[in-house]
Amino acid sequence: MGIVNYAPKILDPVPGGKYLVNMIDYVVNWARANSIWPLTYGTSCCAIEMMSSSMARYDIARFGSEVFRASPRQADLFIIAGTITRRMAPALQMLWEQIPGPKYAIAMGACTISGGPFVYDNYSVVRGAQNLIPVDVFIPGCPPRPEALFHGLLTLREKILHETCRSPWKEGDVRDVSTLDRYREASKAWLALERIKDEEMAEARAKFKEENPEYKSAYKPVRVKKEEFPEVERKALLGKGLENGFLSAAEIFTKTRDRFNRVVAKDMATEAIDTKSEVESADDCLENIMKYPVDFPLELTVNAEDYLDVVKFMRDDEDLKMNFLIDVTGIDYEDHFEVITQLMSMDRGHKVFIRVPLKKNFGIAEEKRANAILAQIPSITSLYPAAEFKEREVYDMFGIEFTDHPDLRRIFLDEDFTGFPLRKDFTNPHMIRRPL
Amino acid sequence: MINKGNLPPGFKIERSESNSEEFFINMGPQHPSTHGALRLALRMDGETIVEMVPHFGYIHRGIEKQAENMNYLQYILLSDRQDYLTAIQNNLGVCLAYEKALNIGVPERAEYIRVILQELGRVASHMVFFACFGGDLGGQTCLLYGFKEREMVHDIIEEVTGSRLTTNFFRPGGSTFDVPDTFIPRVKAFIKHMDKTMKDYERFLSKNIIVLERTKGIGILSKEDAIAYGCTGPMLRGSGVKYDVRKNDPYSIYDQFDFDVPVTYNGDTYDRYTIRIAEIHESLKILKQAVEKFPEGPWRAKEKPVRLPAGRYYSAIETAKGLYATYVVAASGDKPYRIHTRGPSFANLAPLNKMVQGQKISDLVAILATIDPVIPEIDR
Repeated sequence: MGIVNYAPKILDPVPGGKYLVNMIDYVVNWARANSIWPLTYGTSCCAIEMMSSSMARYDIARFGSEVFRASPRQADLFIIAGTITRRMAPALQMLWEQIPGPKYAIAMGACTISGGPFVYDNYSVVRGAQNLIPVDVFIPGCPPRPEALFHGLLTLREKILHETCRSPWKEGDVRDVSTLDRYREASKAWLALERIKDEEMAEARAKFKEENPEYKSAYKPVRVKKEEFPEVERKALLGKGLENGFLSAAEIFTKTRDRFNRVVAKDMATEAIDTKSEVESADDCLENIMKYPVDFPLELTVNAEDYLDVVKFMRDDEDLKMNFLIDVTGIDYEDHFEVITQLMSMDRGHKVFIRVPLKKNFGIAEEKRANAILAQIPSITSLYPAAEFKEREVYDMFGIEFTDHPDLRRIFLDEDFTGFPLRKDFTNPHMIRRPL
Repeated sequence: MINKGNLPPGFKIERSESNSEEFFINMGPQHPSTHGALRLALRMDGETIVEMVPHFGYIHRGIEKQAENMNYLQYILLSDRQDYLTAIQNNLGVCLAYEKALNIGVPERAEYIRVILQELGRVASHMVFFACFGGDLGGQTCLLYGFKEREMVHDIIEEVTGSRLTTNFFRPGGSTFDVPDTFIPRVKAFIKHMDKTMKDYERFLSKNIIVLERTKGIGILSKEDAIAYGCTGPMLRGSGVKYDVRKNDPYSIYDQFDFDVPVTYNGDTYDRYTIRIAEIHESLKILKQAVEKFPEGPWRAKEKPVRLPAGRYYSAIETAKGLYATYVVAASGDKPYRIHTRGPSFANLAPLNKMVQGQKISDLVAILATIDPVIPEIDR
């Protein structure tokens, strides 16, 4: 509070000065508590509720906090709205340091309290904002309603009103408490309470039985009849493109197979592709395709050597005309990866999913394998510009290298992150397994 | 000044003598007009953008890794948190994939509930777009108005699902609950109110001279680029491609409704704005038909344990932002082997670099607002 903090020093020796100090406190606190300016900071869902709270219906102006500042230098309140990830944490701490004191922080939503829905099996979420900056008020909810945010604001107001120039605002400490430790402590206390309750109940029951040996309970369990629902058949709707010329799965397959004789359509329930097996005959493949329901896209298994040619053929062929890339993604199996390229023809309406099995390179020493690139595949960025980001994602998550990619870097994680998260054997010190 | 040839990661245009006075600006990850934790590295020549590199991952929450250790129904909860503005639509996308796997259908009443909630969600999301677009251009009034009507939608959604934002409502075979009796009257009242207020909305921005000056001919995305970069939704239709998953790859009972797919052909910021306003009108059209025909009867199919048979299942829906596809790889057991989501925002952001080159930095804000990205859905 700056200069006001010197008030007791100057005024206390004066007769009646203590009352004057109290008066100053009252006036200053009244002004501060009714004009808390928050910082515009929001990363996810809670930010939308924070926005709602400042709009027409809820109107945060009633509590004096409508002036959302874009610069931390003009704010006093940090409403942490949304999940904090390890990559965002330094930015958040920097923002906090840029806010001039006295400053306050409200942790809004479950993610900023404990990690919320992202506690378990997660390698990137910080479990609680109090690990990074001192937090004054916690608001539970996922996301909290605007009313809850107002309750948080009023609670903070109480806190500000209790500050005086004799005990002014001090920056709190960061409490580096592991969420899990707090959970364990809480669950221990809860279990002990339950046990005491159970024992008391058992005692009371035994006592009651002794006193009234002929008592019979009047309680009869009532069975609520469960509503019965019918079984309904699924209707498969067929898509149609912008023009005519929809090709069925079998037609697409025969067209591709004529050109590339190693292209195979597997049975739908095939979990992992055996990379060694021989090429199935075209008739077997067609039989497999016939088992697909009509609205399932055709899935073709293609060799890594043929991959680029097949995609090029599908894009350029007059009948197929696969001009739209839906997605590129991967799957990790024990001894191989699978890259899936999902293509669609916007004009014709048919879809093809190309599955490319890639053998893992087990020549790398075992201890280095977690952080090593284990497979390679040609990039299709030259054919579809949309693939640039998607291939970077696959590289980031699986450690599959796309050769000839113009800008192959990690996309979601830091450059120095160890390991590739979506591999099944991925481990991370921050990851806690979900107890089952 | 940065040395020749020593560019920050991602920048591709080579340095030469003529562009030696360029400088770099960092926008984000915490910036009011990047719609969340998005970081843009800008290479500027005066006030003109030479090149832009987006940096993602500031809200990467590892949802796909988490999904591997959850059962199928628990994953629906995480789909809410990807694109929280269209949470109710994401729920449906996931459920449709499960329904394909389990081969179960949905009774008629449940289909109507789905369609009505879908369209309400679309209107709510476009309202947020309207609010943020106006706000980013400097009009605080739009923020207030957009959120006013959105609250009405959220009242209805809250009454039905029990939650304002993260709905977690649909299940394979129907939904968690039946709708209350007040549902249809409230939707009717909303449609009536919306028909009136839409005129106000259009008067605000559509013919506002400042908006026209700042949006016409800015951030042009050609038809070929829109398809090549994998844009969907209003981005694609703003560039003149009449592709809508509801029409071209129908799901639920969208084939039974009479509605148009609005298209504009210039592909600039203004067109992407008008397309969303037109879409609100179309959504209201669908809502009117659905409310009239809303049937009685069972609201869900017979319950089945959600254990998908081994295989791969794909579903695609049209959310307010575009094609939202879910790809489920099921192995034995009650957990998915892998679930992958194709979010519309991720693809829609891909051509941003191309669109902003040669534009002013204030136009970048307007262009970004019309892409309407939701960052947690990009990063997942």
